[in-house]
Amino acid sequence: MKKYKEIARIYIKSQLAWRADVLFNMLFTVAKILFAWLLWGMIFRERNMVAGFTFHGMLSYYIVSSFLSQLEMARGISGEVSARIRNGTFSNYMVMPVSIEWYFAAMEVGVVLFYLSFDLLAAAVWVFVFRIRFVFGRSPEILLCAAVMAVMGLFFMVQLNYFLGILTLKFEDIGTFLMIKDNLVSLVTGTIVPLVLFPESVVRVMRLLPFYYVTYLPSMLFTGRCGEEAVRGLAVLGTWCILMQGMIAVTWRKYRKKYDGVGI
Amino acid sequence: MKYYRVFRALLKIRFQNLMMFRLGFWGPFFVDGSLFAIQLFVFDAIYANVERIGSWGRGEMILYIGTFSLINAINMAVYFFGVNGIVGKIMSGEMDLYLTRPVSPLFRLTFECMNPGSLPLLLFSICIIGYGVRTAGIRLNAGRVLAYVFFLGIMVLLHYEMEVLIRSAAFYLVTNARMEQLEEAGLQLCMNLPGITFYGIYKFVFYCILPYGIMATLPVQSLIGDMEWETAVFGVVIVAIFTGITALVWKQGIRHYNSASS
Repeated sequence: MKKYKEIARIYIKSQLAWRADVLFNMLFTVAKILFAWLLWGMIFRERNMVAGFTFHGMLSYYIVSSFLSQLEMARGISGEVSARIRNGTFSNYMVMPVSIEWYFAAMEVGVVLFYLSFDLLAAAVWVFVFRIRFVFGRSPEILLCAAVMAVMGLFFMVQLNYFLGILTLKFEDIGTFLMIKDNLVSLVTGTIVPLVLFPESVVRVMRLLPFYYVTYLPSMLFTGRCGEEAVRGLAVLGTWCILMQGMIAVTWRKYRKKYDGVGI
Repeated sequence: MKYYRVFRALLKIRFQNLMMFRLGFWGPFFVDGSLFAIQLFVFDAIYANVERIGSWGRGEMILYIGTFSLINAINMAVYFFGVNGIVGKIMSGEMDLYLTRPVSPLFRLTFECMNPGSLPLLLFSICIIGYGVRTAGIRLNAGRVLAYVFFLGIMVLLHYEMEVLIRSAAFYLVTNARMEQLEEAGLQLCMNLPGITFYGIYKFVFYCILPYGIMATLPVQSLIGDMEWETAVFGVVIVAIFTGITALVWKQGIRHYNSASS
């Protein structure tokens, strides 16, 4: 455990080297809020409610989902693993006396801890700038569930990206696939629009997938909606984490022998 | 004539190069195709809950998505991969090679990395546009189609100029990452939001400074017959201004370029 803490600490420190990145990451969170502000502002001019959302409820949803999606920085893991396998430098990770997957998980913890306060600050600034009457859940149990789910969601995304990265051991180039994955993830995690806008049959299918619980459901819980799904959500996401762990173990055992350390 | 021969040679070389990696050949089609398919899906979900966004119904929005997709498809098929390499070539000093060739460096950079693999995106976009026209129940006539083609053409030019302009900043900056981040944020926002939703300061920013807001909006407005003549003149003037700025910045940038690893 100590060594993983050290990895997380190193990554917290290394973020300080790119201070401009921190500032720009904060600034560019405004794009999603501005999108919501303009689009929903125009729609709500002619009505008071859309799919059970008021205008400020909708913007509160975007503030929370944008905050959570900004924290999710695991997409770099698949690219890093894939590039390292392709150029033969993945050996650097293999010789370390740590589990490679947990190394990346510790890295994600370090990066998330560093950005947490800045992203919170950015969210608070946008609430103030856009004069949003922020809607927040009141039940402590539900808020706790939402927080645990958000953490589990971040962990699931680390697992998913690590899994996709090690697929490079089998398939030479997964770059195109990763870009398509990023497009799809932004839709199914509800960061473009709340999933409740989709037809009920689509939402029912999405409830079976882990992505529903990564950003969308925690955002809904934090804004005081969908409380009845909280416990079931934790169970479904937990099951997916266990399943994904199994898939990682099987894939790693099967394909690690294909890695020759000289690049593809 | 010389430039036509150079263009043909560049296309041939690029095609041979791309055919070596067939999955990569279709990559841009799958990536951008999925992006616009998702956008259609998203707006379908929104329109299942509301009838109109401003004055636009579902058909007009499909038309907007198709038009943006078409501009993007032309970008990906013709100049994106070439123009995108400008920053790297300035930073590494590789631009020297382009300055010593007997053709315009910008011409060569623009057309050296054409991507025929993106051509299916053009067909995909035309299908979306056709679907949008049918859904919106637009009665087409020669005047509207010509106006659409005209505005589409000048907006493709504007898109190209914005790409060159943003990458020309690399002549003066140590890193261009922030400029490209700004471009990405602006494009992503305007890909999802038609220009009719902008007002006040946002309208000024996305119509005049980062004019991504007008790129698909003006062609759509011309096709649905919702364009006032002031808007049409504004579109032409903005493109003319950005053409001048791009030419000036590129020329000054080349003069400012001091070879290897500037």
